[in-house]
Amino acid sequence: MPERTSELADLVGQEHAATGREYAAGFVTEIEADTLPPGLDESIVRAISTKKEEPPWMTEWRLDAYRRWLSMPPPRWAHVQFPDIDFQAISYFSAPKGDAPKSLDEVDPELLRTYEKLGIPLHERARLAGVEAADEEAPQVAVDAVFDSVSVATTFKERLAEAGVVFCSMSEAIREHPDLVRRYLGSVVPKPDNFYSALNSAVFSDGSFVYVPKGTRCPMELSTYFRINAENTGQFERTLIIADEGAYVSYLEGCTAPMRDDNQLHAAVVELVALEDAEIKYSTVQNWYPGDEQGNGGIYNFVTKRGACLGDRSKISWTQVETGSAITWKYPSVVLRGADSVGEFYSVALTRNFQQADTGTKMTHIGPRTKSTIVSKGISAGSSQNSYRGRVRMNPGARGARNHTQCDSLLIGDACGAHTFPYIESKLPSSVIEHEATTSKVSDEQLFLCQQRGIDPEKAVAMIVNGFCRDVFRTLPMEFAVEAAKLLEVSLEGAVG
Amino acid sequence: MSLLRIEDLHVEVDGKPILVGIDLAVEAGEVHAVMGPNGSGKSTLANVLAGRPGYDVVRGSMTVDGEDVRTLSPEERSLHGLFLAFQYPIEIPGVSNMEFLKAAVDAHALGRGEEPPTAVDFVKRARVAATRLQFDPDFLKRGVNDGFSGGEKKRNEILQMLILEPRLAVLDETDSGLDIDALQVVADGINAFRANSNAVVLVTHYQRLLNYVVPDHVHVLADGRIVHSGDRGLALELEERGYGWLGG
Amino acid sequence: MAGSAADAAALAERILAQGPSSYAPWLDRGPHLDLLERRALPELRAEAWRHTNVARWYEAVLHGTVTPVSSHRVESPAEVEVVDFADPRAAELQQLRGEETYRLSAQPITALNALLLGAGAAIRVPAGSAASDPIRIVDLPAAYQRILVIIEPDARVELIEEPSTYTHRLVEVVVQPGGQLVHRRHQAASSHLECSLVAVRAESGAHYELSLLSLGSDLRRNDIVASLAGVGANVTLRGAWRLDESRHLDNQVAVHHRVPGGTSRQTYRGVAADRSRAVLNGRIEIAPGAQQSDATLNTKNLLASDAAEVYAKPELEIYANDVKCSHGATVGAIDDDAVHYFRTRGIDEHTARTLFVRGFLREAIDDLDAAQMLGLIQ
Repeated sequence: MPERTSELADLVGQEHAATGREYAAGFVTEIEADTLPPGLDESIVRAISTKKEEPPWMTEWRLDAYRRWLSMPPPRWAHVQFPDIDFQAISYFSAPKGDAPKSLDEVDPELLRTYEKLGIPLHERARLAGVEAADEEAPQVAVDAVFDSVSVATTFKERLAEAGVVFCSMSEAIREHPDLVRRYLGSVVPKPDNFYSALNSAVFSDGSFVYVPKGTRCPMELSTYFRINAENTGQFERTLIIADEGAYVSYLEGCTAPMRDDNQLHAAVVELVALEDAEIKYSTVQNWYPGDEQGNGGIYNFVTKRGACLGDRSKISWTQVETGSAITWKYPSVVLRGADSVGEFYSVALTRNFQQADTGTKMTHIGPRTKSTIVSKGISAGSSQNSYRGRVRMNPGARGARNHTQCDSLLIGDACGAHTFPYIESKLPSSVIEHEATTSKVSDEQLFLCQQRGIDPEKAVAMIVNGFCRDVFRTLPMEFAVEAAKLLEVSLEGAVG
Repeated sequence: MSLLRIEDLHVEVDGKPILVGIDLAVEAGEVHAVMGPNGSGKSTLANVLAGRPGYDVVRGSMTVDGEDVRTLSPEERSLHGLFLAFQYPIEIPGVSNMEFLKAAVDAHALGRGEEPPTAVDFVKRARVAATRLQFDPDFLKRGVNDGFSGGEKKRNEILQMLILEPRLAVLDETDSGLDIDALQVVADGINAFRANSNAVVLVTHYQRLLNYVVPDHVHVLADGRIVHSGDRGLALELEERGYGWLGG
Repeated sequence: MAGSAADAAALAERILAQGPSSYAPWLDRGPHLDLLERRALPELRAEAWRHTNVARWYEAVLHGTVTPVSSHRVESPAEVEVVDFADPRAAELQQLRGEETYRLSAQPITALNALLLGAGAAIRVPAGSAASDPIRIVDLPAAYQRILVIIEPDARVELIEEPSTYTHRLVEVVVQPGGQLVHRRHQAASSHLECSLVAVRAESGAHYELSLLSLGSDLRRNDIVASLAGVGANVTLRGAWRLDESRHLDNQVAVHHRVPGGTSRQTYRGVAADRSRAVLNGRIEIAPGAQQSDATLNTKNLLASDAAEVYAKPELEIYANDVKCSHGATVGAIDDDAVHYFRTRGIDEHTARTLFVRGFLREAIDDLDAAQMLGLIQ
């Protein structure tokens, strides 16, 4: 019954006029900022480095990246469309005014209120919004809060230090842990890896740094909360996480931005390094402003994320729940170098209105008996385009390696698109690659069954979509799984009038 | 006041008349069987009662407990006490039976202005019903009808009926495709449900189920209208003589 | 990459300088010349040529000979009309074809075919006919070839492309309403560098079935584009290949569901041994509004040596929601357990492997005799 289908599409397409009900994080914080003028040249790169009081090697590193970037063309292969970005119209640095706070007590109360409003309290006795609901036994979470170009606060640093874990802003790491930074920065994502990683390497302003020493299990969840606030400003954060031999860390990032009519660029680089027997679990709940119902505004989320399983039996696991951004272009990947190392990628990407997502992963098998698992769930609604793009490569030497990929798309309404672009490359007979993809829709019959049992269509759609995403949600830390499911529901609810 | 009253009901699907003047009254405590050959409009009657999109009421009325349900959405009809056991229950992969039933039970509780049951109470209730319908303990964790056999799907419909405790249950060919053991389980479920406060409409092609669930009234539907009504004996006669002798 | 490899610009220049072929002067070569003038030929490592070195093929184009020959060897049953592509009648048949089966005049490699064209045939299978014998394309004696096939309403026929050599062959097929074509392509092992394009339009209720058997070549690239352009069209594509030595086979397949209610099935089985390279890019595209489309693709690959390579890229591009689409791809080795099982029953290892490969390929072969004759299976 086609009429019925369009009725469903209407339901999902309907918006609560730009009241922001469906995007609660869309407010702006009024705060005095120190912002560099728009434009990019060597003097801007130097200025960023100077503001961050960086050593000369770091300045040179940035300049090298900048010069390489100049000769690189922006990538055009993704299944997304947008006008050319004017890189001279963007400001590359914006930070709240004043000296960097020495402790939480010195953080501008306006900023504390901002994070409070976003459900990220920066007081150490408090817990994350999602965690609060859970019982008292719930683990505590350390937070690094990045506001525009700088880290404004990092909690639980002392307690982490007792365990030997370093958790600080990237700026601080460059000053305090130069050996680790020099050794690993750019080792997983080389400066000229791609256009946006080169740009990020030149102008990155802050981000989080984590080092978990040998044999240490990080005593709490770590998380970074990214907030873009300033107008016409790009955010270029850089995250580096190193898990030394036998170490374990679970890390979560969240992100939001105000509602604005212009597009804003977010081009981050995340590098993960896992040494022998180490494990890194990296979860993302991405809720950048997606633009309005006409497709105006929203964040361009062009991010390079990659982990290197350097040591034998190491493991890197990416989980992402992507509901925000006007355009998402990101492929959290794993280079499986160590023997018996394991890479995982679990993804839920929801697009609606005019959102576009081209996201997936690259699993590069180098070491023997390496194993990778990919589970991707794409949900398209409205007039959005949602693509999975993933590459699985078996290099000579990856004897006995295995990959399994499951890629499912769910379509809501008949104006959206769902696409699957897997690249399967094998040079090795003893390795096995298996890939499967399916497409389904929320059917009228499913909705009618739910309704007949008394469940309203909005709730029914949320329930069906949550069920579709179950395999991915179950890989998130429990409290975040609840949050992710809620976020998905809100994203659909705001849409299902 | 009848629990269900249908008067002069005319229904079209895609502009084609399917039901052309149905009159039916069902009282609390009764079981009615609606029988008829394929294409007679039996399933249309069941679906139009539940408010399936695409089934257009062009004339007549249908009231449940005195309220005309024509303008109610499917979920409002459900909250009003109307239950349809589907002829072909749809699969909803990923959504567990537990989750699905809890959402339905919560919606019904809220509809009555009550607090939804606690998870613990709910699970107890669901387990009892699952055991009665001979489901494995892991049934609640499985996806709704996902990978279920035909018989399991039909048993699941009856389980949902037992848990939601509707006023009026319309069972659309719930007996079709069941082996004799499953038929017995389904019939036991329906008999356990029967009470003075509710009513059941069995839509069926064969009288087999009526050996286990004895109806108070039997109606024969042909070409979109009820052409015969009688008691249990009518069903037995149909079994013996087929539908042919009823003529047009 | 060889240092002397021809680049796209140099090739375009050369062809523009020598002017278009005199064969089949009725053919409108204007758009093709435009493409070359705009330097539209794919460059080395263009995305669509990731796994095939297009420059090596350009080399073959540059150094090949272009001799137009108005003769062809096509065997066909009496009721089928076959004319040389240079014949004015071919122009009429081209009219009968209707619009292009694919954006041929915007396709740069096709432009080379048009400008260098030297031999071809146009074939019409009259409405309602059901030929018992197949049409055989035995040989077209020039490097650049074109075959146009029109299956009129409700006609049924089988078309066989026998092994032959060319630098580029273009096959255009229109299956008009209710028509049925079984299209067999048999590609022997060779040391040539060759590309081909099969462009198919299946109209309402038409059936098009492709059976590709290939052994690879020094460089062999098969582009296959099938459009389901009428309600209820049905496209079935099967491909089986076994490559050894340093042979190369690159299959780029796209199935476009343009209207509602089409069904497509794709099944591919490939074995890559020695230093060979096998590529399959299989795309399913569902256009907006093409509801109730039902499309699947399944490809399985065996790597039989440490130096062989397999690249598979099954793609879904879906713009309608009420559809059934899926694809599956696997790459792996010959199952050692299976081989062991054979051996416990007294079958030696070599025979066991041969049997295993045969069984594996059979899933995509519906004509065992032809596969055997070609040497694809033992």
